[in-house]
Amino acid sequence: MKTVSRRQTIWLGGAAAVLVAGGVGGRMLLRKRYAPTPYDDLIALVHDRDAAAQIGETVLAEVEDFEPIARAVSLRSRIAGRPLAVALTEDAAKGRLVEGGGWVLPETLGLICALAAKAAG
Amino acid sequence: MGAFIDARTVPSGTTVHADVAIVGGGPAGITLALALANSKLKVVLLESGGMTFDAKTQSLYQGSKIGAPYVTLEASRLRYLGGSSNHWGGWCRPLDAVDFEERDWMPYSGWPITKADLDRHFVKAHEMCEAGTLYYDAAAKITGGIGKPLALGPGGITTRWFQFSKMRSSVLPTHFGERYAGDLKKVSRLSVYLWANVTRLGLNPSGTYVRQLDVATLDGRKFNVKAKACVLAAGAIEVARLLLASNDIVKAGTGNAHDMVGRFFADHPVPRDNAVLVLFGGEPAPFYLGNQTTHGAILRAGLFPSEKFRRDHEVMASSITVEGKVELDALGKAAVATTANALGVDAANASYHSLGCGMEVTPDPDRRLTLTDERDALGMRKLKLHMRIASQDFDKYRLTLKELGRQLIESRIGMVKLNLRTRDEWYASLDWGNHHMGTTRMSADPKNGVVDANLRVHNVVNLYVAGSSVFPTYGAANPTVNLLALVLRLAEHLKEELP
Repeated sequence: MKTVSRRQTIWLGGAAAVLVAGGVGGRMLLRKRYAPTPYDDLIALVHDRDAAAQIGETVLAEVEDFEPIARAVSLRSRIAGRPLAVALTEDAAKGRLVEGGGWVLPETLGLICALAAKAAG
Repeated sequence: MGAFIDARTVPSGTTVHADVAIVGGGPAGITLALALANSKLKVVLLESGGMTFDAKTQSLYQGSKIGAPYVTLEASRLRYLGGSSNHWGGWCRPLDAVDFEERDWMPYSGWPITKADLDRHFVKAHEMCEAGTLYYDAAAKITGGIGKPLALGPGGITTRWFQFSKMRSSVLPTHFGERYAGDLKKVSRLSVYLWANVTRLGLNPSGTYVRQLDVATLDGRKFNVKAKACVLAAGAIEVARLLLASNDIVKAGTGNAHDMVGRFFADHPVPRDNAVLVLFGGEPAPFYLGNQTTHGAILRAGLFPSEKFRRDHEVMASSITVEGKVELDALGKAAVATTANALGVDAANASYHSLGCGMEVTPDPDRRLTLTDERDALGMRKLKLHMRIASQDFDKYRLTLKELGRQLIESRIGMVKLNLRTRDEWYASLDWGNHHMGTTRMSADPKNGVVDANLRVHNVVNLYVAGSSVFPTYGAANPTVNLLALVLRLAEHLKEELP
């Protein structure tokens, strides 16, 4: 039976570590970078920032006078630390809806997406 | 035994006598003839065509149109025994009570009768349509084995039901001519004249009584029918034409002293692919996607604005149907994934379906039929339709769709995309129900309509109209079963009125 020498073990371990580090680092390098904004806490509530920004572009076309800082303040107040899903169903119950590209969205979600679009420049 | 008579064999100059003359052998005319069968009344039914399609006869329907996109006047009707039931889809649904009400936000609304006045006639009307037991909004109780209605949260849109005429050869519902020809022949005091075109209502000099109907055949025969009562059952376009063209005594046309004949023409716009329905949990129950047969009825579910929602939000009736599957673009995929995730719902098996609809339109006096100087093969003046659709009709239907989207989100089961916004977009998607209505609307006051609550033409004592041309407003229900209920009510009235 063939045995693996200590030197080979060290080589293999080192190579694996380099591959893992390279993979993670590569993903970090490839990931889209966003400049920090004062409303990153809100954008972080959606699972895919790029998708949110794509939706947000269509929402911005529907919403007049969109001022991100002021919107962020009112959204935080509306969400009030609750799970996002609760805020969204409350939006629907109260008839607070917004359209984006024809999609009927809970207003809170649509506006967070609009913030994501603003953040994406 | 009753008789089927080829009018082309009737000598010119003949006078046929009857108690009741029915003009038109479609569902209304046939139902009326059969409903009068158990009376002592001698009935004549005059049908323009024969037993099957004939191109020359069909061409008598030709006319012109201007305005909003619409089908040609000869395209959506059929001129032979059975009338337009010969290409009927078989969809049935009674109108709602609110459809009969005067609504201050809906101009020209309000029937001179209520839904309750018609209710007792729906069982027989349904029987004529061969649509089985009436279930409609009780259908959820018998379809549990097929699936569950959408668990929409509280709100304006609810699952309601269509029923269907019995299918033949898998697709074709009741063709009234073919189906009831045998029954008509069994009625001893009924004569059915085929190939008999009524070209003029001959009034007395004061214009208050129809003395005779002039009948012509395409091969040149001319005779007349004298009856105690005449019932026009030739469809909303032809009835208006016959009234307007019968203008030798009353210059504006028979029954048209107040310039109401031919106005308020209506149909149900059917905007195809007007929205996308997303259900996060997968496919809707099969009864949303197609007809299901159970408990002796053929059923399909649709999504309808409730009567309360219609009143509260001042929207018109509509019937939303779930149609074929669609693919989403990148934005759609992002919207579904983002929304489902934010709602804490798994959308891995989400389904995407196109939505269709039958829409009600606002009554409009300027959506109307008028005579032109062009004449058909029988010398009758042809019609021109000025078609119009109010922008608010589309806007209000959009509001209804948005309510569906709201409820889907609140109940965390799905979402909606609205595909159409501009008038051009709506027009590009537009199909039609081919439900001609409104041209001889029912009214208590002769100034506001053409026929009274008993379907008698105002100020013409022996002239009646049977069919959806008498609908003052239109709802979103398919008209056939509703107009048959009106016809059965008219039959009762005629039996009482005529000695």
